[in-house]
Amino acid sequence: MATRDSLSGPDPSVRDRLRFARQSVGERMPTPGEGIVGYVFLLPAFLLFGVFLAFPIVYTFYLSFFRFEGVGDETLLWIDTGFFSYRLTSIADLSFVGLDNYVRMFTDTLFHQAMFNTTFILVVQVPLMVALALLFAVALDASFVKLRGVFRTVLALPVSANLVAYSTVFLLMMQDAGLINYVLTSLGLPAIPWLTSSFWSRMTIVGAVTWRWTGYNMIILLAGLQNIPQQLYEAAEIDGANRIEKFRYVTVPQLRPVLLFVFVTSTIGTFKLFSEPVIINGGGAPLDSTITIVQYIYQTAFIDFRLGYASALTYVLIAIVSVLSAVQLNVGGESDA
Amino acid sequence: MREETRREAVWQFLTYGFILLGAVVTLVPLYWIFVASTLEESEFLSSTDPTLIPGDSFFSNFQALQARDNVQFVGHVGEMTHYIDFGPFYVAYDFWNLWNMGAIESSIFVAGVYTILSLLLCSMAGFAFAKYEFRFKQPIFYAILATLILPIQLLVIPLFLLMSQIGLTNSYWAIILPWLANPLGIFLMRQNMRSIPDALLESARMDGATEFQLYYKIALPTMKSSLAALSIILFLFQWNLFLFPLVILDQGKYTIPVAINQLVGAQRVYYDQIMVAATLSIIPIFVLFLFLQKQFVSGILAGSVKE
Amino acid sequence: MSGITLDTVRKEFGDGEETVVAVEDVDLEIEDGEFLVLVGPSGCGKTTTLRCIAGLEDVTSGTITFGDRDVTDLRARDRDVAMVFQNYALYPHMNVRQNIGFGLKLSTRQTAAEIDRQVEDVAEMLGIEDLLEQKPKELSGGQQQRVALGRAIVRDPEVFLMDEPLSNLDAKLRSQMRTELQTLQHDLDVTTVYVTHDQTEAMAMGDRIAVMNGGTLQQVGSAEEVYRTPVNEFVADFIGSPSINVFDATVDGARLDGPGAFTYHLSDASPVAGLDTVRVGIRPEDITLVDDGIEMTANVLEPMGNENFLYATLGGQEITARIDPTKRPGTDETVSFSFPESALYLFDPDTGESLKTKRDGDVPDRNDAIPNREGAQSGTGTGSDADEEQIEEVVE
Repeated sequence: MATRDSLSGPDPSVRDRLRFARQSVGERMPTPGEGIVGYVFLLPAFLLFGVFLAFPIVYTFYLSFFRFEGVGDETLLWIDTGFFSYRLTSIADLSFVGLDNYVRMFTDTLFHQAMFNTTFILVVQVPLMVALALLFAVALDASFVKLRGVFRTVLALPVSANLVAYSTVFLLMMQDAGLINYVLTSLGLPAIPWLTSSFWSRMTIVGAVTWRWTGYNMIILLAGLQNIPQQLYEAAEIDGANRIEKFRYVTVPQLRPVLLFVFVTSTIGTFKLFSEPVIINGGGAPLDSTITIVQYIYQTAFIDFRLGYASALTYVLIAIVSVLSAVQLNVGGESDA
Repeated sequence: MREETRREAVWQFLTYGFILLGAVVTLVPLYWIFVASTLEESEFLSSTDPTLIPGDSFFSNFQALQARDNVQFVGHVGEMTHYIDFGPFYVAYDFWNLWNMGAIESSIFVAGVYTILSLLLCSMAGFAFAKYEFRFKQPIFYAILATLILPIQLLVIPLFLLMSQIGLTNSYWAIILPWLANPLGIFLMRQNMRSIPDALLESARMDGATEFQLYYKIALPTMKSSLAALSIILFLFQWNLFLFPLVILDQGKYTIPVAINQLVGAQRVYYDQIMVAATLSIIPIFVLFLFLQKQFVSGILAGSVKE
Repeated sequence: MSGITLDTVRKEFGDGEETVVAVEDVDLEIEDGEFLVLVGPSGCGKTTTLRCIAGLEDVTSGTITFGDRDVTDLRARDRDVAMVFQNYALYPHMNVRQNIGFGLKLSTRQTAAEIDRQVEDVAEMLGIEDLLEQKPKELSGGQQQRVALGRAIVRDPEVFLMDEPLSNLDAKLRSQMRTELQTLQHDLDVTTVYVTHDQTEAMAMGDRIAVMNGGTLQQVGSAEEVYRTPVNEFVADFIGSPSINVFDATVDGARLDGPGAFTYHLSDASPVAGLDTVRVGIRPEDITLVDDGIEMTANVLEPMGNENFLYATLGGQEITARIDPTKRPGTDETVSFSFPESALYLFDPDTGESLKTKRDGDVPDRNDAIPNREGAQSGTGTGSDADEEQIEEVVE
């Protein structure tokens, strides 16, 4: 047989490799104009990306090692052609402080309070919301449920609500003389100081965020549920599993990657909370018990104008969120494998 | 067997009960916004006897809201002041002064312009990544992908300084430009456009199409549903932006979130007016949601892709 | 309308360090109005060659001319070619009318009404005039195929290119479309290059067949030529179904000793003069079972109705024979076979080149059927030399 292969290759493996290489190369697109076209399509996005995303990412980090003294006016570049003149000034007037901004965080009690508030909301809100979203998804996925589309639409309605606009409703409902307390007192329960007690004001945030995002997560979970092959349930039923066991041994493990995704995105969402505490608690009232990290960054940067410290805080937040996102990407990657 | 059917009935009853409860809890705040906007403040802020029936004060509340001097919520007819003098007659050309935009129009305008421009940019970039070979393609793509995990709306500090330097403070461009090259949008378009068969593009090339015609005559039309889903993501992203507009926009240019924040943070809070503002901000999008449900849902699911 | 000339066309993929040669110095002349089929195993470079002709790939070196117009550096859209793709590549967002008219809309200055008239003419010709308002996804495979054809025809191009256009159809529709395509090509009289991996399709459709392997053109000729007088063992093996039986034999004067009981006396030993071994080829259809001949052991019999396929073993060598339907040897039964010397193929064991083919015996002269024999000859010449060159490159 060796002579036969000599027709087109010294040995079969070389020929196979050649053939393989050829096929994979053959699948590629031709590159008209030596790949210039690709750059042309990419250029607008790339420029904006560089100026408004890549630069801020780097500059925030840079800024976190400085104290901000004011908007810069030092001339970096001056073009004067007679017809047209352009002056590029430095972006800010800064003085270097090294790691001071990061060190300061260790003794900044307000930062600790913001971290605590955020974590508190996180610990209560995320499990509550994911559990509710899962229950609604499972309920809607049940074969006997009629009007499934209508219910899904209703439950998902809050997704479209403007974050600030919906917050005002909770501000209203949770007033001492608001709707919720009216319902409570008419049921013979005591009224709750939703906006004035530090514990209950956090719970108000929890309630508002849960209302706004449960439907969103339900849609994702419902899609996940509908991807579970029906045969698995049938097989489990033949094996004698009851409803609870089917949920425990089929639904939950099959849904695990989606559930993790929902958990992680909700956690990230909590770290980014801003609209709700600003609107409902008017910037952290009472006594900073609801101030969140983003809100604290906003105050530090744009009320106190301590941009350097605010940048350091931003980077800590970005670090937290990035780690969480990386976890999410890994989880997603595993589920695809 | 009877036991079994009885159990099933109880189970179904509980399931329906749960779903109905959820639906009620979801709908009550929405209903309450609407009701409160039609009542006077004293009628709904009462722990003794709040009414749940819509009243007839919506229009007077709206007028009171419009009369506020720190916030223009809905726009009004403007006065054109730029004329070309043709001797016997004048022609006004400052059409942009025809209507003085309020917060609602600003938000719709900004979110609309942002959505259209971003769709264009993201789809072009996605097309380049999906269908062309060029040097450094992979590194550039991964750099963009890496920013997916950053909360891009938090990069406000350098953006604020940048906008101050280039003179874009208090400009709508300041809240449109920074997020035009949306990493999620680029990523989604690239993923979806990879499914366009190469033969389709080659076929069009042989039919005489230029590379740009491939993009807008072949790629874009075949991507309609992905574009619809992405446009929802982009629109809601801009619609909900609060932090940066709050920092960068001044009175007269407020978007809805900033305008409502002004109302809430004022010396004397008029809840009836705020509820009118909330109704006007929320209800139109609800209607949109009901009509474009499919796109909303696929937008949510597209936003939840992971790779 | 014009012929196509490929002059030492070469296509390499990759950059500097890692180049892969997909098409190796192909010379090919396709006559005006000819239906040429490019055939070969997957990865042989046939599709790349087609894409070079189309202008979808730029060639590394060599020239491509349509008639006397050098199109080597022209882009696809400037070459006046039309192509039918394997998956039809119909624009999913356009209806049939728009799909067929798209090329005219882009590349001509005709009015919408003129374009419409032409689209309708073509649709009528293909019998799809009722489908004009439908979208591709509403059509069956065969209908999509017709739309793809219509899109090519309506542009009245200089050259038709087809890349395995029938491979997505089921067997029955495929043979129907085969005939239809041939008739159509004959009526339109447009130079056509057709790529397929299916040698049956190639034999059935092509005015001439160009067999490719490993990036090089092996042989160009009529179906009968490549079947009866293949230039080398590869062509002999690739053309014909079931495949030719090939095995090693030692040469002892005029006697060939093969596996098992195989011994054969050549009446004319000149082809094997000076060789110690030779590759022996016998087509299954040339084998007849006889009472007294070379013995082999029958394995499996596949009855086909009008004939039987016998799979047998000859000293460890699998032999396929196409035998009379009345003969039904059982498993493990010993059968004897013989074949005429005129039907025997002999190949050089080192280069694979043909030493003797069927042509020696009873081949009708096909000169009149082949428009341009020079073109065909220049194609056949390159064969194995080029192969060796290419192998060296790969090893480097």
